[in-house]
Amino acid sequence: MSVKVQIPLPLRGLTGGLSEVEATGSTIREIIDDLEASHPGVRERLFRGDEELSRFVSIFVGGRDIRLLEELGTAVREGDVVTILPLAAGG
Amino acid sequence: MQANTDRYSRQIIFPGIGRAGQAKLAKSTVVIIGCGALGTVAAACLARAGIGRLRIVDRDFIEYHNLQRQILFDEDDVRDQIPKAIAAERHLRRVNSSIEIEGIVSDVNYRNIERFTAGADVILDGVDNLETRYLINDVSLKQGTPWVYGAAVSSDGMTMNIIPGRTPCIRCLFPSMPASGRVATCDTAGVVSSAPFIIGAIQSVEAMKILIGAEDVSRELITIDVWTGAFQRLQIGDSPSPDCLACQGKYEFLEARFGARTTSLCGQNAVQVVVPGDTQLSFEELARRLQQIGQVSYNEFMLRVAVDGYEMALFPDGRAIVKGTNDESVAKGLYAKYVGM
Repeated sequence: MSVKVQIPLPLRGLTGGLSEVEATGSTIREIIDDLEASHPGVRERLFRGDEELSRFVSIFVGGRDIRLLEELGTAVREGDVVTILPLAAGG
Repeated sequence: MQANTDRYSRQIIFPGIGRAGQAKLAKSTVVIIGCGALGTVAAACLARAGIGRLRIVDRDFIEYHNLQRQILFDEDDVRDQIPKAIAAERHLRRVNSSIEIEGIVSDVNYRNIERFTAGADVILDGVDNLETRYLINDVSLKQGTPWVYGAAVSSDGMTMNIIPGRTPCIRCLFPSMPASGRVATCDTAGVVSSAPFIIGAIQSVEAMKILIGAEDVSRELITIDVWTGAFQRLQIGDSPSPDCLACQGKYEFLEARFGARTTSLCGQNAVQVVVPGDTQLSFEELARRLQQIGQVSYNEFMLRVAVDGYEMALFPDGRAIVKGTNDESVAKGLYAKYVGM
């Protein structure tokens, strides 16, 4: 499956400034693996250890928090929009 | 009273508010923590809407680069060195003299936040850092007071309502803070004024809906990019996470005794130094002392001194903002040397 991944500001240094990139995979875990292959460093910023999503970022598929779905095992469909979102700080 | 009835007539006509809603707003207290771009926008909306009591807490003073987006301030405030909380109070009194407005010049930390949020019906987030937001989250859950998170940087903004026990809290979604240096700040990313304008405006209407008890209170995380025009309403679930420490009553930020007395300030090349205890500085005495070593000016709210190529702004409670450095030890050293700690 090919999906659109929305990249938050603090990670755009890894995507050449792009706020949206394409990635392929059938689950969020595979999408992140694919992102890591094309934009090395992404995994380290999103993961705590090998298996767990970092505690300061949320990921949404089709506008729904993967915490409410199957976490990293959440399935994605062709054309889905995946949003990676850390808590924003400015004010 | 005729003037006041007429003042709110256009929002009373709106069915979501009506007379009953307006009466609830008039009896409500909103505490706005942080009075930068988000805080000034939200404070302006809420004062005009007739919230009965507004308390605005901010630690900072006004500079020219604030005027680009902080709508309650003007050049006179910069020249007269008026703290943000005081300037906001003064401007809003001229907008609406029929409500209570209290500006408080102070840092907000684990030692004093409960004093500021006591009696609040809603806490509105206008701060510029994550640590204070986690602190607000703790105090909100502890007191059972809803808070409205909002943030804006670059052309992006996001906001969500946290209603204790009924929605996820900020730690349900983001259990920990990222390491420093991994957060986008105003100085690394800049900020387009429309981003905080929109977020502050949404925050204020959400606060009003919560106060009125409207059914339409948002239970989503709203994000917007004012440059691309992207707007999202993200589903975050309708209950607290069972794993959330804060929702289980563990208020780590409120209970933590953070050792650091210095904080690097977002986007300012400046460090804040906070001294423990109840300090009360005498500016007159301090000015006499500091005139020997640098140029000093002061009013009843703030003393400024230029020393060693830095500028230090001192507040009556002993707090200082050292400009010209991001190095916390340099700031602490200057403080120790010229003020004493």
